[in-house]
Amino acid sequence: MPDPSPTKEPFLQRVREALGRTEPLLYAPDYPPLKTATIRQEEKVRTIQAKAFARRDRLVERLKETASTAGWHVHHVHSPEDAADVLGDIAIGIGAKAVVRTAEDIFKAVNVDAVLRRARITSTILASGRSRPRSSLKRTAFGADLGVSGVAYAIAETASCAIVPRKGIARLTSLAPPVYAAVVLADQVLESLDDYFAVTRLAYQRGRGRSPNYANFISGPSRTADIEQTLTIGVHGPGIVHMVVVD
Amino acid sequence: MAVRTAQFKRASSSAVVDPKLQTALGRVMGHFIEARSHALEEFTDDAWEGMRERAGALKAHTLEHLDYYLDLTDRSVRRNGGHVHFATDAAHARSIVLDIAQRTGAKRAIKSKSMVSEEMELNRHLEAAGVKPVETDLGEYIIQLAGETPFHIIAPAMHKSRQDVSDLFQQWLKTAPTDDIRRLCTIARDALREEFETADMGISGANFVVAETGTVVLVTNEGNGRMTTSAPRVHVAISGIEKVVPAIEDVALMLRLLPRSATGQRITSYNTFVSGPRAASDEDGPEEFHLILVDNGRLNILRDPEFREALKCIRCGACLNTCPVYRKVGGHAYGWVYSGPIGAVITPLLTGIKEGKDLPYASTLCGACRDVCPVKIDLPSLLLKLRRREVAGTNGERAATWMERLLVRRWAGAVKTRQAMERSARLGRFLQRPLSKQGRIRRLPLPVIGGWTRGRDFPALAERSFATIWREELSDGGDA
Repeated sequence: MPDPSPTKEPFLQRVREALGRTEPLLYAPDYPPLKTATIRQEEKVRTIQAKAFARRDRLVERLKETASTAGWHVHHVHSPEDAADVLGDIAIGIGAKAVVRTAEDIFKAVNVDAVLRRARITSTILASGRSRPRSSLKRTAFGADLGVSGVAYAIAETASCAIVPRKGIARLTSLAPPVYAAVVLADQVLESLDDYFAVTRLAYQRGRGRSPNYANFISGPSRTADIEQTLTIGVHGPGIVHMVVVD
Repeated sequence: MAVRTAQFKRASSSAVVDPKLQTALGRVMGHFIEARSHALEEFTDDAWEGMRERAGALKAHTLEHLDYYLDLTDRSVRRNGGHVHFATDAAHARSIVLDIAQRTGAKRAIKSKSMVSEEMELNRHLEAAGVKPVETDLGEYIIQLAGETPFHIIAPAMHKSRQDVSDLFQQWLKTAPTDDIRRLCTIARDALREEFETADMGISGANFVVAETGTVVLVTNEGNGRMTTSAPRVHVAISGIEKVVPAIEDVALMLRLLPRSATGQRITSYNTFVSGPRAASDEDGPEEFHLILVDNGRLNILRDPEFREALKCIRCGACLNTCPVYRKVGGHAYGWVYSGPIGAVITPLLTGIKEGKDLPYASTLCGACRDVCPVKIDLPSLLLKLRRREVAGTNGERAATWMERLLVRRWAGAVKTRQAMERSARLGRFLQRPLSKQGRIRRLPLPVIGGWTRGRDFPALAERSFATIWREELSDGGDA
């Protein structure tokens, strides 16, 4: 753990003086979310999961609705085989030559590699290994036509796919290629932002300092309106995004 | 960034007669307002009001205990393996960034939008130190090529037309001219791809900093924020100290308020959560993460209970879009980093009341900014308080002249009671005779208030006042 900056204490002292105090606070401020014990947070998350389970079909419908509004191309399929076929069709449809994907377990069931192989499209797992040094990842990612990944959660309220990069899940998979497809399992759908952050918080409380340092919401195509306030899709991130929801 | 707020009067006068600027303002401002009200339709008024109330209270609580939450932020980020720096002013913050660049041997820096880095004039100093800075937000990239400063906090290049952008690209990137906006975006994408692949340092701002988890939250649409935090080997996030919120669950509320107030979106295309450097096993991401927490005048605002609430601002830009003054004069007239009602409040407080003395008058006090503020900052009353302070003067030196004070006293005496007012009106009707033409006075040949007619006509007093007409013709003499 890095050392505190030598300027920290004098800085905080000036903040205190600005607030009319000379000493650090004796007690933590009374802010309920910060005082929730792990056991209470576990209870909260169990309730959230039970709620999501009970309302699964409605949540999936809501997600499809918000996702379409946000510019996702939504595909609702009922088997992993169908999901693989949809991904293959997407790759063929854009004339993709190179596809990159993450090394997530979901692709054991959704066998996209086989579908792509049949279509003679190169599929690369964007992860370092014996044959693939980390330094080559960037070039591979920037050269790909389509990126495919799973998600940690999907949020129905905002059509957000929460991606948590780690071993096997490169950040650039869902960012560098011009087209991106997210594979969402129906039981990964949460209702709201509140639900997502409650779950995140529990993970943080359980593994202080060991929870992931990076996460992203992808909630639609990359967009800008910086020239004449005219909406344009696909600036730095993928301009076309597909959400494949699997029951 | 150099403070040029003293030129507000001149800059705003030339802005209102600039036809190109007025076209741009007309085009963009209406769009923002419509998008925002459309985005609010999904909530009841009470629900939206409740969210604003909670967000305002959350920010107020954080500010009251800011030393505690800054300490918590520091400990959380360091536990995640990141470095935290505390910078007292712009120069200090710059030296921290330059030290990091030097120590890591960084030569090329990509930046995603940071207003604090504008306060620091970071780009100029990076260049001087041999580090090439490239803005990657499309709007920021355009104004970097043009050598200008942001015109609007969330639409920095809104004053540029497609022709302007095409000309800039032709000049700097040697591309063929085009009036196709899609094509222009593609040109920028291709040019910036190279930078993303080769940059060794990423510099970002922060929309929120979560104390509990040590998380910097970025709210973006283009994907440049993700590139900046993913591709280079070093990431430096620069944030004002007021951006801290206590808990990760607070982000849900803030993410409902910010994009709706800013661009009228339910959520932006991307939200990035950075809590530290990448783990050893991660596939990509920066090896080093630095968070720089900047004061640069903010403690002056914190110290002053009358103005503390100005630090609640989450920089959504809604008050700019709704302000009748901003909508006519645009962002550059304000002369510093922040414009619109919030700029008129914090610029004098951050840079000194004397330099920014005209800015609190850049408001009609109509109250629209207060009504749209997602954290319920009472901007009109802060503007009034600043005017009072400016007039009272600092260090015993009074800003108002004896003539102004005399006139204001006389005016107060003349309108205080009905009798006094009618008496003054009779006198005024007599005195205005040589000046009034068709019910208007084109020039008031008087000291101080003569300035009033420089840009507009003064309506002359009617021959008979409404009170007289009422008394003589309309009233039944009863209790009408």
